[in-house]
Amino acid sequence: MQSTKFMESIKELSKEEYLLRGHIACAGCGPAIGLRLLFKALGNKIILVVPACCSSVIPGPYPYTSLAVPVQNIIFEATGATASGVVAALRKKGVNDVTVVGWAGDGGTFDIGIQALSGAAERGTNFIYVCYDNEAYGNTGVQRSGATPYGAWTTTTPTGKKERKKDMPFIMAAHRIPYIATACPSYPLDFVKKLRKAKAIKGTKFIHLLAPCPTGWRYDTSKTVEIGRLAVQTGLWALFEIEYGRFKLNPPSDQLIDKEKRRPIKEYLSLQGRFRKLTDDDIEKKQKWLDEDWERYHKLASNNASDLALCEEI
Amino acid sequence: MVVVPKTRKEMPVTTLSVPTIGSAGKTGFWRDFRPVMVELVSPCTYDCPANNRLPQIFEKIRDGKLEEAAKIFLETNPFPSITGRICPHFCEEHCNRSEYDEAVSIRSIERFLGDYILERKGEAGFHEISTEKGKKIGIIGSGPAGLSAAYYLRKMGYNVTIFESEEKPGGMLTYGIPPYRLPKQIVEKEVAALTKMGIEIKSGKTVGEDIKFEDVQKEFDAVLLAIGAWKERDIGISGEQLMMSGLEFLGEVNKGLMEPPGMDVAVIGGGNVSVDVARTLKRLKAKPSILYRRTEKEMPAISEEVTKAKEDGIEFHFLTQPVDASKKNGKIVLKCIRMRLGELDASGRRRPIPIEGSQFTLEFDAVIKAIGEGPDTTWIPKKFLNEGGWMKVDSATGVVGENLFAAGDLISGPATVVEAIAAGRRTARSINQYLRGEEIRPEVPLEKPVKIEGINIEYYEPKERAKASELPPEERTKSLDKEETSGISLEKVQDEAHRCFSCGYCRACDICWIFCPDGSVDLENGGKPEFDYDYCKGCGICSNECPCGVIIMEREEE
Repeated sequence: MQSTKFMESIKELSKEEYLLRGHIACAGCGPAIGLRLLFKALGNKIILVVPACCSSVIPGPYPYTSLAVPVQNIIFEATGATASGVVAALRKKGVNDVTVVGWAGDGGTFDIGIQALSGAAERGTNFIYVCYDNEAYGNTGVQRSGATPYGAWTTTTPTGKKERKKDMPFIMAAHRIPYIATACPSYPLDFVKKLRKAKAIKGTKFIHLLAPCPTGWRYDTSKTVEIGRLAVQTGLWALFEIEYGRFKLNPPSDQLIDKEKRRPIKEYLSLQGRFRKLTDDDIEKKQKWLDEDWERYHKLASNNASDLALCEEI
Repeated sequence: MVVVPKTRKEMPVTTLSVPTIGSAGKTGFWRDFRPVMVELVSPCTYDCPANNRLPQIFEKIRDGKLEEAAKIFLETNPFPSITGRICPHFCEEHCNRSEYDEAVSIRSIERFLGDYILERKGEAGFHEISTEKGKKIGIIGSGPAGLSAAYYLRKMGYNVTIFESEEKPGGMLTYGIPPYRLPKQIVEKEVAALTKMGIEIKSGKTVGEDIKFEDVQKEFDAVLLAIGAWKERDIGISGEQLMMSGLEFLGEVNKGLMEPPGMDVAVIGGGNVSVDVARTLKRLKAKPSILYRRTEKEMPAISEEVTKAKEDGIEFHFLTQPVDASKKNGKIVLKCIRMRLGELDASGRRRPIPIEGSQFTLEFDAVIKAIGEGPDTTWIPKKFLNEGGWMKVDSATGVVGENLFAAGDLISGPATVVEAIAAGRRTARSINQYLRGEEIRPEVPLEKPVKIEGINIEYYEPKERAKASELPPEERTKSLDKEETSGISLEKVQDEAHRCFSCGYCRACDICWIFCPDGSVDLENGGKPEFDYDYCKGCGICSNECPCGVIIMEREEE
């Protein structure tokens, strides 16, 4: 369920497009919806720092590009470092109305780029880092990453991954940065609101965007938004933010603390070919972990978040 | 140098027809299916006998354009102030929203718009009348069918004259339906607006008595018979002459009779007339009982009215069939027999079968029968009638023969006001085709309506439907004239319009636009989607997400 004024609020979003038609993302690409929403929230007064990932391919081959904003393409591991450099250069030049955005996939965030990101966060670099998470190295043909969930098929986990997904937002929370949020393109207004909020906060901001991928997740291209919605409705993807250490669930996830209100995870899993080989035991295991996560969310949400007291308000 | 194309024309065009690296051109080549926006039929439009285009009307209400909403309404139903009060709202029956929470309060919206229209009907320019055609049409009968046909024919530019045998026009609206359901001022105002449009109504003129039917046929280029069905059917038992006819009684009350025919009154029958009679009697301080040979479930009356009758404290004798009536000590003694239900009959209801030896008697001060009505066609030339005394007519077009047409209860038997209104409109269309020398064709039947599976209900929040307030039984039974159901406020009307799923009709919500990964949805056409097939990759997200079910995926031709 979207919020009451969903249809009215969509109308208020800018009709300007900075991801132009003719880009070469796959049909039904979740990250492409995410990129469009990024521009709706922040406009074009931004500099994108994009490492090796789907989004370095999506704009199309040189000399053409579908990204109508300045982009710094950079090697896989260097998003955080490069963004730090761009921020420093802008400061030196006295430019203060441009937002620097790191836009990286899950491989470039969870695995290869985590060191540079950690460094940038530790230095308190003033930028927004968006990890668009399609839970695999999609661009190179769907290999497992630290973001691939338990039991999911990839080309390198043909019988399903045996390890759990890293909890990236809480890794970032441990850096005591002022703003961390999760989002999903199926809830566009939530994502846009969080980006705008992040823009207004000084320091390192981390937004984790679950971006369904029909190619890697093996589902019909028309279901991208539906799958994202189910991820949230089943509770597998909780929408929350940690603002200056304060944890808060956002709608509709804030209504899902009661287990009864969460849809069965089977609804989400059964739509995707990558979970085809999951056994009932696997599903039960996933359900157990999920319930544990929600107990944690519940505690964090009800304790006035003093538990997390990782960051003091500046 | 990186080239950022500023317009579509600057994008490179590739001849590659497969998605390979480097084809950063018109990605429409990749597509197997294309999204297409269509307009489909909503269940409410489909189920409404007049096929009112409700999703289109509600769109205008959401936009705050009441006058435009009103005009769309008038295209299919000229009297929403009337149907908004008394219609059994077939439209709400299969409303897709009822499978989600509750049906949209369509009738309440209709009533609001109807009253809005009624206030403005007299204003110049509200009804545009086409150039005068210089042809004359005579309409016999001023009930809902006749008035509806008159309205549409006048709008087409014909000169319309209506003959009405009663003193006041309106037929069933004036003399049948009791005032607590339909205030008579509403009917008077509707009729006054028609007169203002230039329609002539000759009241107190009975065709066949005051004027010869043949003369009417000669005088007018086309004649429409819309005399309704006013003749009470016989039960076929002895002592039937002791009973009053239900419609006759209602007619008397509507002409000013304020006395019940007795204290204990039996009303025989399970239809709308029967319930109207019983509820009217209650308001005249009598004690009515309804006698019906089947059970409540089989009653043809509007179920809302049956419920209200029970609330009013009216007694029901179900499975009761009178077999004899006689007079004794000033009372009418009804000999009855108990019935049981058997197999389904032609009407799809269970057939009542008498139980042998179950006779019993009931005593009343008066008995009113209302077991069904038929048309009085005795004065119509035999060549237009079949053996059963009904009109020989093509019911889809209303064509009888020569320059004669027929519509409403006269050909359908007793039905609802909205069905008569719809028949009037359809027959007006046939008359126009006839007078223009065209082939007379019936309206094309609507396609099957959109089902809830076609609607993405994720975009709607549960919300209770707006309920019109009703007078409590002890209050409403005190007065015959006091309207028992009230209207709803503009605010609630708008809430209801927002609750509408807009099945099969684009609500310009922008959802297809916001979720298109390729940014290939244009909204320049009044906020409704147009797809850029040069770039659309055919993923189908727009179709999957559409909250109105109007985007379908069509296979591309090779």
